[in-house]
Amino acid sequence: MIPKNQSIDKIYTLILVIISVGILFFIWPYISSMVMILVFAFLFTTVLLPGVDVLERKIKSRLFSTFFIMSGLLALLFGFLFGFASGLFQQTSEFYHRLTQENYVSELNNLYQRTVSFLPGASSMGDLGNPQLAEKIQVLFTGFMQQFLSFAKSGMNFIFLTAMILVFTFILLNEYHNFRRTLVSMIPNKYFELGLRIIHNIESQMSKYLTGQFMAASSVAVLSFLGLLILNLYGANLTLVVFISIIAGLSNLIPMVGPLVGMIPAVLISVMNNLGNDVALAHMMFNIIPSPFFIFDIIFMFIIVQQIDNNFITPILVGESVGLHPMLVMISLFIGGIVLGPLGMLFAIPTAGIIKVIVHEVVFLARYAHLL
Amino acid sequence: MSILPTRFGDNIMKALWKNLFNHWNKQENQTKAVLKQIPVFHGLSDRQIREIENLCHKRRYKRGETVFKKLAPGEGMFIILSGTIEIFTEDNNDKKNILAVLNNGEFFGELSLLDSDTRSATAIATEDSHLLAFLRPDLQSLSKRNPQTGNKILFNLARVMAARLRKTSEEISENSSELI
Repeated sequence: MIPKNQSIDKIYTLILVIISVGILFFIWPYISSMVMILVFAFLFTTVLLPGVDVLERKIKSRLFSTFFIMSGLLALLFGFLFGFASGLFQQTSEFYHRLTQENYVSELNNLYQRTVSFLPGASSMGDLGNPQLAEKIQVLFTGFMQQFLSFAKSGMNFIFLTAMILVFTFILLNEYHNFRRTLVSMIPNKYFELGLRIIHNIESQMSKYLTGQFMAASSVAVLSFLGLLILNLYGANLTLVVFISIIAGLSNLIPMVGPLVGMIPAVLISVMNNLGNDVALAHMMFNIIPSPFFIFDIIFMFIIVQQIDNNFITPILVGESVGLHPMLVMISLFIGGIVLGPLGMLFAIPTAGIIKVIVHEVVFLARYAHLL
Repeated sequence: MSILPTRFGDNIMKALWKNLFNHWNKQENQTKAVLKQIPVFHGLSDRQIREIENLCHKRRYKRGETVFKKLAPGEGMFIILSGTIEIFTEDNNDKKNILAVLNNGEFFGELSLLDSDTRSATAIATEDSHLLAFLRPDLQSLSKRNPQTGNKILFNLARVMAARLRKTSEEISENSSELI
């Protein structure tokens, strides 16, 4: 039988938990951005920490090591963004000019006819030669340009969030070991060894997972780059190959959905570049399957890259760092997608990994609770 | 009139500043000195000792507080900066068998630096104590980041173990010769 005092304590604890959850529910809309910034900053810190630690041992200054690593990261980020934005802008404006020329209307109609004719039940679709297609695309494109301003507003918000993440990452990187020591010093003596064990396991899980993912993303980017170069040898006429490969690598960080997203820029650029090219329009993959503008070749290439990644690279590099069952991976992705969208999907697996570590340690604690 | 409070304030600040930093320096030096005399850290340079110091966790235990219990999973070793720690086991009749009473500069629980096995005895603070904890995850990460320092520590640890093993063997042979 539970003593009366213990029952009262449990009731108080329950009330306290309910009040805390209620307060969190009400303040969540105000703090969610901040939490997201901190989560991103923590993830970047986990990835960059080994680099800062190594540099610190060489140059004997934590502040300068953090500064150099962050500067390198920023230079890479700005280089990529600037290069990609200028390339894409040039590509888009060229495409826009070409689209306004009359002779491409027939090209688009040809593509439309070819695509529709391969669809099942195409004969029942009536008139295949829709002469309004180019105009429709033009209207859509103009609408897109008009929405550019609202997009710019979101862009400013994004820049602000990115700047905040970078500032917090800098602070966390510079003070990481002090923060960790402060956190450890707050653990009561009774749970000291166990607490440190949990912190260490979470750190090691996160570090392994992120490093593995980063390596896997890099290898996907390299493989995609090689694949796109091979396609170019066969006349695919793809530009911005480096950027497409990097995007493919980065989108690969989101399991299951990422690979699909990764191939979209390549397909779009192939259509943009090859519009008006009869050879590209009439291209056949392996001389069997019609593949206008090398679209199916690109998709096929990305599928091969994915297969290499899934069957050879990821098992070796990421291995069983998280060790989640595929079913749990899918459930985590689903929940992450509902809660935070694509970002949620990006963080779903490491979060599930952390929860797994905590559950594992709670089971461990339950086994040894009488000895604490 | 206005000078007195200013001087008074200055003096208080100076005293506070001096006391704060003197105490801080003293504690830092004391930690380093204690670490240097621990056999596990013998032969380490000042820079390596500083690195170990940064990895260690300072903990305060009140009189009667348990540091760890027998059969609890061990995560690392403890070094006594000040205070007294009693190491003991209990038999089935709760009879206490004191194995050691350790004081300033001594260490215990070093076996857990090597494996994650359970503790072989209970450790309790018999007076208010100030301990330094050096845990296995920290040694592992140190070995990964700085293999040279990690190797030195592991080699020293092996020496400590060898000495203990030799002593145990001698005691066993002495006891067995007495029995014969």
